[in-house]
Amino acid sequence: MNKRIITLFLTTFIVLILIVGCSNKDREMDANASSEAFNANRDFKEILKEAKGETVSFYGWGGDEDRNKWLNKTVAPILKKEYDITLDVVGMDIDDILAKLSGEKQAGLKKGSIDMIWINGENFYSAKENDLLFGPFLEQLPNFEKYIDNEDEEVNSDFGFSIDGYEAPYSKAQLVFINDSSVTKETPKNAKELMKYCKENKGKVTYAAPPDFTGSAFIRTLIYDIVGHEQFLDMKADKKIVKEKIEPALEYLRELNKYLWNEGKTFPATSGEVKNMFGDGELVMTMSYSPYSVATEIEKGVYKDTVRTFLFDKGTVGNTNYIAIAKNSSNKAAAIVAINEIISAKVQTTQFEELKELAVVSYDKLNDEEKKRFDSIKIGQGVLPQDELLSKRLPEMPANIVPIIEEIWIEEVVGK
Amino acid sequence: MKSINSHSLLKFLLYITLFIILVPVLILILWTFASRWPWPKLLPEVYSFRSIKEVLSPHANAFSTLFSSIFLSLTVAVLSAIVGTMTARALVLYDFVGKRVIDLLSIAPILVPGTVFAMGIHIVFIKMSLSDTLLGVIIVHLIYTLPYSINIMKDLTDSIGKEMELQAYVLGASPLKSFRFITLPLLIPGLMSSISMAYIISFSQYFITLLIGGGNVKTFSVLMVPFIAKGDRTLSSAYGLIFIVSTLLIFVLIDRVFKGLSFKTRKEEI
Repeated sequence: MNKRIITLFLTTFIVLILIVGCSNKDREMDANASSEAFNANRDFKEILKEAKGETVSFYGWGGDEDRNKWLNKTVAPILKKEYDITLDVVGMDIDDILAKLSGEKQAGLKKGSIDMIWINGENFYSAKENDLLFGPFLEQLPNFEKYIDNEDEEVNSDFGFSIDGYEAPYSKAQLVFINDSSVTKETPKNAKELMKYCKENKGKVTYAAPPDFTGSAFIRTLIYDIVGHEQFLDMKADKKIVKEKIEPALEYLRELNKYLWNEGKTFPATSGEVKNMFGDGELVMTMSYSPYSVATEIEKGVYKDTVRTFLFDKGTVGNTNYIAIAKNSSNKAAAIVAINEIISAKVQTTQFEELKELAVVSYDKLNDEEKKRFDSIKIGQGVLPQDELLSKRLPEMPANIVPIIEEIWIEEVVGK
Repeated sequence: MKSINSHSLLKFLLYITLFIILVPVLILILWTFASRWPWPKLLPEVYSFRSIKEVLSPHANAFSTLFSSIFLSLTVAVLSAIVGTMTARALVLYDFVGKRVIDLLSIAPILVPGTVFAMGIHIVFIKMSLSDTLLGVIIVHLIYTLPYSINIMKDLTDSIGKEMELQAYVLGASPLKSFRFITLPLLIPGLMSSISMAYIISFSQYFITLLIGGGNVKTFSVLMVPFIAKGDRTLSSAYGLIFIVSTLLIFVLIDRVFKGLSFKTRKEEI
């Protein structure tokens, strides 16, 4: 009997602790609610002052060791030296970041640990729609005025979705095709030539199954090549309409299946696998969203130096990736200062130099010295010059059409 | 004759097992130093020290993360063994209200799908201000390791029973003394496997660590998984190799500590 009483007492005690713990936290959250009202629309000097001595976290995909290195060894020291801001780079997939933010929102946490987020496309769309982001802040950044071309479509909309100042451009990506000149001489210039190429190299071409970013972009590039890209920009996100419009491309993809790896019955799950299969010689062609990846891979010895980059004549899809600020960020001032610095000519030039990623600054807005520095960067082996890439760059489809196409692909193309 | 036959069969199986374990490790070692290894070459075509440079470079924080990760998982493992032993004892030797419910609940964490569980516990932890803290990660790892610890200890406690402890009481030993000199030494094999099991489970948690730790608590798995997901074989192999070697060393350490412990107890007994 005694033991029962003790057990009961202990259980009640634990439950009480939990309840009290929760309610205490709720009160604390209410008290902090006022700090959420951060005003980005004031003198930048004031924001600089507030940011001084703070630590700002930058959450984004952690699988690119070159980018991690660049952030930690180039960007972080600049921020520390010039603004006394400490940059904490945290590797986390965007899905997990959004899951964390929406969990925090549901629980009412006003001061989260995520400040800056590397984001774009569908993820930006859903994050903004779900009110997880802070903004607008973009036009308040001095370097936005100074370096970025605000007429550029990609600065105003991300996958066709209006940005409204909720994210700042970070770097530009574009789909490129890659093959080895010592294995196959030709570089297909359009969808028709690609079909021929696949027939000649039966079973040695494939692409990653969407929702892999690169595989999905490859499908969109083929759709653009076959049915044109303009009609998608203001297309209604309706499965029936989209399917009707892309039917010739679906027909093409089904035909292509016959000549693909494993006869198109299955597709690799990630673009990393496709890249590895190409490296192993199992495939004759691969593709990448980083237009200069061939140069870095040759440097690392992963690719032979006969590997080169090519594009379709009509172009390939390109998009910009951005940095946003979490709505419940506890260091918004420092995040704004850090983002302002990242879009400067200085940091963007080092990004192009060290990561070989396309810069977001407008070349025309650079001064002579900055232009000279930019031009002096060697782009490396097996890649295309920047003006060729930019001249064959097609805009992304609206963010809400992308998942519809991915769905149609699964139903209509794979294994058919 | 028959015994010799089964002996050689056993040996054969042992070699096969060894082969199955060692060959992948060997490939891992080769890939750590290979940058290109196209089919059908037997050995890599191009070697590089890229992964070693990357792992050793200070900005990667590989080793400081490894050590804090080991510390975290050892803490979880020891706590898990203690809680597991106590829970198993209660479930086997005592009768109380809700015993069967607790018995069932003790395996619930491995029955509920991981992501579903993670999302729920995340919200609870935010409300309790445990998210983004080391304590939160330790607690959430414990939830995953306890089912194993409890069940390992339950079988052992069941087989030991409490007769020997009662015998000690009859001879005038205090509960503390009887636990120290009789029950504990008998529990040591179970404690050892319970700690090792909990350690490896805690050390390899990725998603839940990321979600509850929120990037503030960096563990080795959190550092390693993005490279594996990306398909960078060279870096993945280097990290994988460190993962295996460090875990093996910890297992040897656990083994040594317990061997020393049981020896000491025996000596004191005499």
